[in-house]
Amino acid sequence: MNPRCFFILLAGLFGTAGLSAQPSFTGAAPVPGVVQDAAVRRADYLQRRAEVLQWRVGLVKPGEPATFGLGEIAAKLALHQDAEACSARLIELMQKPSGDMFWMFPVTCISYLGRDQLTPAAKAAVREAWRTYFPLRGDTENHWTMYYTTLYLMAQLWPDEPGERWFNGKSSAEITAESRAWLLQWMDLTTTIGQGEYDCTHYIGEYSIPMLYLATWAQDPAMRQRGRMMLDYVMADYTVETLNGIYVGAHARTDDVTVLEKWNGLASFFGWMMLGNCPPPANYGGWGLFFAVVAENYELPEVIYRIGTDRNGSYTHFERKRTRHRWRNSDVRNAPVYKTTHVTSDYALGSDQGGLLQPIQQHSWDLTWAVPDPRGVHNTIFSTQPFYGAEELMMYFTEMPDSMPAAVTFQGKPTYIAESKLLGGSPYEQIFQQDDTLISLTDVADTAPHKQVNGFFSKDLTRIEEDASGWIFAQGGKAYIAYRPLAAYEWRPIEKGGKRLYSPHAKNGTILQAAAASEFKGWDDFKARIRALPLEIKLTPAPRVAFTSLRGRKIECAYGAAPRVDGRTIDYAKEWKLFSGPYLNADIGSRRLTMTHGRLTRVLDFNTLTITDAVRP
Amino acid sequence: MSTARRLFFCALALTAGWPALGAADGTKHDLYLTANLSGQAGVLGRSGPALNGLYRSTDRATFEHLGPHHIRLFTLTSDPAERGTLYVAALDGVLRTRDGGKSWRTLTSWDMTEPKEIAFDPHAPGRIYASLPDGIALSTDHGQTWQRGNEGIRQAYTHAIIVDRTQAGRVLAGTEKGIFLSEDGAKSWRLVQATDKVTYDLKQSPHDPKVFLAVTSSNGALWSGDGGRTWTRIAGISTANTLHYADFDVHDANRLLVCGWNTGLQLSEDGGKTWTDRGAGLPNRDVWSAAFDPDAAGRIFAAPQLAPLHVSEDNGRTWRPVQFEKATVFDLVFLPRP
Repeated sequence: MNPRCFFILLAGLFGTAGLSAQPSFTGAAPVPGVVQDAAVRRADYLQRRAEVLQWRVGLVKPGEPATFGLGEIAAKLALHQDAEACSARLIELMQKPSGDMFWMFPVTCISYLGRDQLTPAAKAAVREAWRTYFPLRGDTENHWTMYYTTLYLMAQLWPDEPGERWFNGKSSAEITAESRAWLLQWMDLTTTIGQGEYDCTHYIGEYSIPMLYLATWAQDPAMRQRGRMMLDYVMADYTVETLNGIYVGAHARTDDVTVLEKWNGLASFFGWMMLGNCPPPANYGGWGLFFAVVAENYELPEVIYRIGTDRNGSYTHFERKRTRHRWRNSDVRNAPVYKTTHVTSDYALGSDQGGLLQPIQQHSWDLTWAVPDPRGVHNTIFSTQPFYGAEELMMYFTEMPDSMPAAVTFQGKPTYIAESKLLGGSPYEQIFQQDDTLISLTDVADTAPHKQVNGFFSKDLTRIEEDASGWIFAQGGKAYIAYRPLAAYEWRPIEKGGKRLYSPHAKNGTILQAAAASEFKGWDDFKARIRALPLEIKLTPAPRVAFTSLRGRKIECAYGAAPRVDGRTIDYAKEWKLFSGPYLNADIGSRRLTMTHGRLTRVLDFNTLTITDAVRP
Repeated sequence: MSTARRLFFCALALTAGWPALGAADGTKHDLYLTANLSGQAGVLGRSGPALNGLYRSTDRATFEHLGPHHIRLFTLTSDPAERGTLYVAALDGVLRTRDGGKSWRTLTSWDMTEPKEIAFDPHAPGRIYASLPDGIALSTDHGQTWQRGNEGIRQAYTHAIIVDRTQAGRVLAGTEKGIFLSEDGAKSWRLVQATDKVTYDLKQSPHDPKVFLAVTSSNGALWSGDGGRTWTRIAGISTANTLHYADFDVHDANRLLVCGWNTGLQLSEDGGKTWTDRGAGLPNRDVWSAAFDPDAAGRIFAAPQLAPLHVSEDNGRTWRPVQFEKATVFDLVFLPRP
């Protein structure tokens, strides 16, 4: 079933108070463009916020407590509605807290929104829950961001209390000190060697929402400023790698749905909310509500808005991130991640360098093409080397090895061990991207669980032609695509639509060259130009490709060796800055991000906690 | 409690009319368990309704939840100088309770996460070691403050840690790269036995303090007869599977067990020379933990993956379920009754 049809069916099932009240989700897709008037932009933003809140309060059905949860309470309090009812329901909900840090941040939000609305009994119920309920701190960066942000704010709400009043036995002063120390350390790591859970299609919310809360509610002006600056930082990091609001390229984490339907992630909530150039996901991405309730306290800087919406031609953007903490099977705590993203108005190609950079949900590269309405559309093409194993999980988690792969498949990642998987990184894949050309090489060990390459060919490609030259020519939107499998393959169906290129050879790889249709006289011209490009492929003893791209760059990649471009060896460690490109620039270790668009510049300097805006005359 | 769960425990209680196993017979130890009852789907953010966490049984038949409701409590121990004070290695750090689980304090801060084991030095009151995924932590004041103590260990993932009860400051650590020994209270370490992967448990014989037993992820079980200075692989135990847990029987110097993934429960009654598979009566062969009951010869408790806790009264020849429906019990420990 077409996912959009599925959403419409869901809307019908939920009735008038449910999904049908999400006009921006069910209505026409916005036409990407630039709103020049800042006042209009602000009004549009606040109108979107109001839409989210109205939808959420509309979910409450009289006499059905199950429809009146923490989200509905937050929405009502944000609108200053039904404080008595919210208080009564909150008292009930505090009897059975569940959800760990995913419980902590809604309750923190409600506590602050309800400071002048909740009854004393409701406040007491919340207070008691934070004494008796022991939420887990978790084991990922997003868990800790939520955990320590909310502890910081709740200790601020209840200062000077002894350890007996808190679930973890620590006093308010101890909690404040510990939370502050972790938050500063995380901000420092992020602004010096990069974010660990970088560029996530969902977890962007788990970073931006806590930062908004710090920006809104932290009493310490320095922490408030840090929250505001980090929110700018996360939004700029996202915006520069969007195509009409869709998060493109390589991600530390995405999921089985969003990896195909690129728009369908929480990140697109921020595209809709901040940039106004894509529809919001269903239910506003779920957690989007908890941004919306205090969204009036943030205004996206104009320079970031324009980076996302007002581009003057194509550009290539480089980023350096880091892996999550590695506990086993590694000499380094945080290995560097080198990202490249090439963006045009018709398509974007983005990648990392390959390898096991994140557990389970890594997405190393793809081409995404622009579509007028992304809902239900699989507007992407990529290949993966399907890998899983205890070795990967032990690297990033501290658990016992043998139960982990099976447990992961139970825990919301059902494809983890499947040979048909399209999600996840591989230690046997090396990737290099130059402009809109990408070469992926694989040399899979005999001990690997799957010795193949899976290529994703979308149901939404308007053409697919297997050429006698060995190239597969395809078209997505206004993007022409040349895809070259390096070894023999066959086609296998995909349940969600499209087909999988299955190439069961350990020494293997993919070459992808993208171009805009407008660059050619026509389809045949494109194919002829690709066929004429110099290409050498050797698969033994290790895969090796020498390819001269459409842009005239001679790219040489050999598995196990550094890539070369026009005879020059690429040195990732020296060449990749924290950010570099026409819009965002930051040096490794600098704690200083410069955002530029046209005459506008904003500098976030975490050394001095200053934001400096400049407009070139 | 669901109907199915009620029926399950009714069936447990009716089977053979089991008496309480230890309450009235002069037991000196209580049995403690760290249990995750949320199943494989129980991940962060979805802890579920089952009461996870620390359980205690004073009679070996009924189990009392001591809290906290937490799906990742790994191991526990008590302070030898203050037996009622329990220390738990948990996802969040080192936790301590002084009031039988009514209240808890997280002793470590953000910079120490996911300890797997805690060990007291019986000769140095208040001195505690904790194994961490990035090294070893040391406290000299009952956990009030902590410092790092893994100088000399590279790739420092540490799972097992044990203090030699015969000598203050003599500590063995099971790490990603092997077994390390410190004889100066964790100031310095030296590798005494390299392993390919992690050493998950270290135990000292209650009969001969020079005898240590180690179990590993890919090197099988290892034996030391000289206080941990040198080690030899135990021939009868396969190296193909990850071993989680080992134990010595206080009633018989020659009886010991190991258990692990796809291993069931292996028992030796001749000091490790030969081994017998005693896991046949368990519901599966993936066993997280197992221990001899110090108060009853022949009694063993074992914790198979996502299954009830089981007990045997005949050294593993036969088994019966004793508690829980579908548990992951990371640790089961007999502690002296305070």
